[in-house]
Amino acid sequence: MDISSFYGSLGTDTTDFILRMIIMVAKIAVVIVIALLHVAYSTWFERKIIGHMQIRLGPMRVGYHGLLQPFADFVKLFFKEDIIPSSGDRPVFQLAPMIALFATISSLAVIPFFDDFVIAKNMNVGLLYLFAMSSLSAYGIILAGWSSNSKYAFLGGLRSSAQVISYEIALALSLVGIMVLSGSLNLVEIIEAQQKHWYGMYVVVQFPAYILFLICAFAETNRTPFDLPEAESELVAGYFVEYSGMRFSLFFMAEYIAMIIMSCIAVTCFWGGWTLPPVVMKALPFLAVVPGLVWFLLKVYCHLFLFYWVRATVPRFRYDHLMSLGWKVLIPLALANIVITSIVKFLF
Amino acid sequence: MTVKQLIDKVFLTEILKGMALTFKMMLSKPVTIQYPDEKRKIYPGFRGKHAFVRDAKTGRQKCIMCMKCVNICPSQCISLKKGRDENNKPFLERYDIDALRCIYCGYCVEVCPVCALVLTEEFGYCSYTKDAIFFDKDKMLKNWDEFVAKLSGDVYWNKFWRPNGVDISKMPKSKREQAPVPIRPTPAMPSDTVPGKNPVNPAEKTLEPAAKVEEKPEEKKEVV
Repeated sequence: MDISSFYGSLGTDTTDFILRMIIMVAKIAVVIVIALLHVAYSTWFERKIIGHMQIRLGPMRVGYHGLLQPFADFVKLFFKEDIIPSSGDRPVFQLAPMIALFATISSLAVIPFFDDFVIAKNMNVGLLYLFAMSSLSAYGIILAGWSSNSKYAFLGGLRSSAQVISYEIALALSLVGIMVLSGSLNLVEIIEAQQKHWYGMYVVVQFPAYILFLICAFAETNRTPFDLPEAESELVAGYFVEYSGMRFSLFFMAEYIAMIIMSCIAVTCFWGGWTLPPVVMKALPFLAVVPGLVWFLLKVYCHLFLFYWVRATVPRFRYDHLMSLGWKVLIPLALANIVITSIVKFLF
Repeated sequence: MTVKQLIDKVFLTEILKGMALTFKMMLSKPVTIQYPDEKRKIYPGFRGKHAFVRDAKTGRQKCIMCMKCVNICPSQCISLKKGRDENNKPFLERYDIDALRCIYCGYCVEVCPVCALVLTEEFGYCSYTKDAIFFDKDKMLKNWDEFVAKLSGDVYWNKFWRPNGVDISKMPKSKREQAPVPIRPTPAMPSDTVPGKNPVNPAEKTLEPAAKVEEKPEEKKEVV
């Protein structure tokens, strides 16, 4: 955010400041409500997709094809008893889900959903902020594992901390190529930089980095095949095994929002955000009628589908395989990508 | 490591193959049967709700109180009491099946020498009370009437009356001669003895059922 203009408006014109604050709050409310609705329906979408991949139907009973299932789930979780383990660390236990949800929801602030719709405008450290927030959400998981005072939860928390530290590096390194090419950390500028090329999407020139990013994103959001922090067959439910009711659903929402955030980053950095490639726009000019948000959401939904698709296909990694994949394969590959990208950028 | 193995490892071919399979499966038709709305076809020989066969001649059950079913029952859910009427003639005083104990093995049906007992193809009879799933002899007859009312044919045959793999010559005579049971009221049998059954037009009920009755056992014998 432009700090100087922020303070300048505070001093000179208070009404203008208040007005801007109201607009800002309204924007935040809209984004959060829409994000939570997306969480609700991405659970429905996931159950449907995985159901059909396993030749089942998925939810069918609540509403037409189970469309009201997310709300039924919400009502169920809302009225469930809130149990806090008597031997657990009570304040930390209560704080952990809030940290997890706060960290993931605040990542939404820098995502450019469509032309000129960003909550925090001109945030010149956009990508760094996203990395910071996704690391922060690991605190929620670790603290949850610690405060539950249960061996399963603790093991889940430990696994999560190790996993997030390992894959955070590869995740950040895989995006350095994008930073080099676009010359910016601001997500809006990254999209604008992509528009300067005829292909309009960095996935064309940074395809290996995109694959690396996807793998790391799966690990970062604790999704299959890297869902060791919540490995059901080994750890019951992992770090949130002692959580019930609304506190459990906070973790649940955090996980799904993190998944949406990761999809948003992939779309923004590799698929040109809300834009279409200039070559497509030139060939089919009538597509300009469609608002940018539609393209953005379509791309995000494709990524979400990929998350579910992989979950329905790939079994869970063994822990040492996970670590060796992260440190011995992904990080060297990401470094090599940076070197090659820099050389190519320097030469041309 | 050969070149092919290297390529497989770099491009994650196995994972892509798996993902192609799951995608193909997603487009195929789900096998789910939405149970209360649609029910799967129950095949003959399904062992479900217990019933007494209502004898076409007497209009009552055919039990001869031989105690074979009581003795063979592995879960001991059948209890039988023989009573004597004023002429010192034995009659079935009590016949109870506790269906909650029953394991639906069908031994009672196989062992019954007169084919009086049957496990019908009826399966949906859960209840909130134990009493509703405790069948006495009247309820067993009622189960038969309810079951038969849903059948489409004129006769009923249960394959466990003549179990596969058992030499037919070793079965009792009554079992050997057992014909498929007519389930529609015939002119010989007053329709009022079968509750819940209203014959549409007695004139239409000629000897057709009987003709079919004679055909069926011959077919059966060939199979056995």
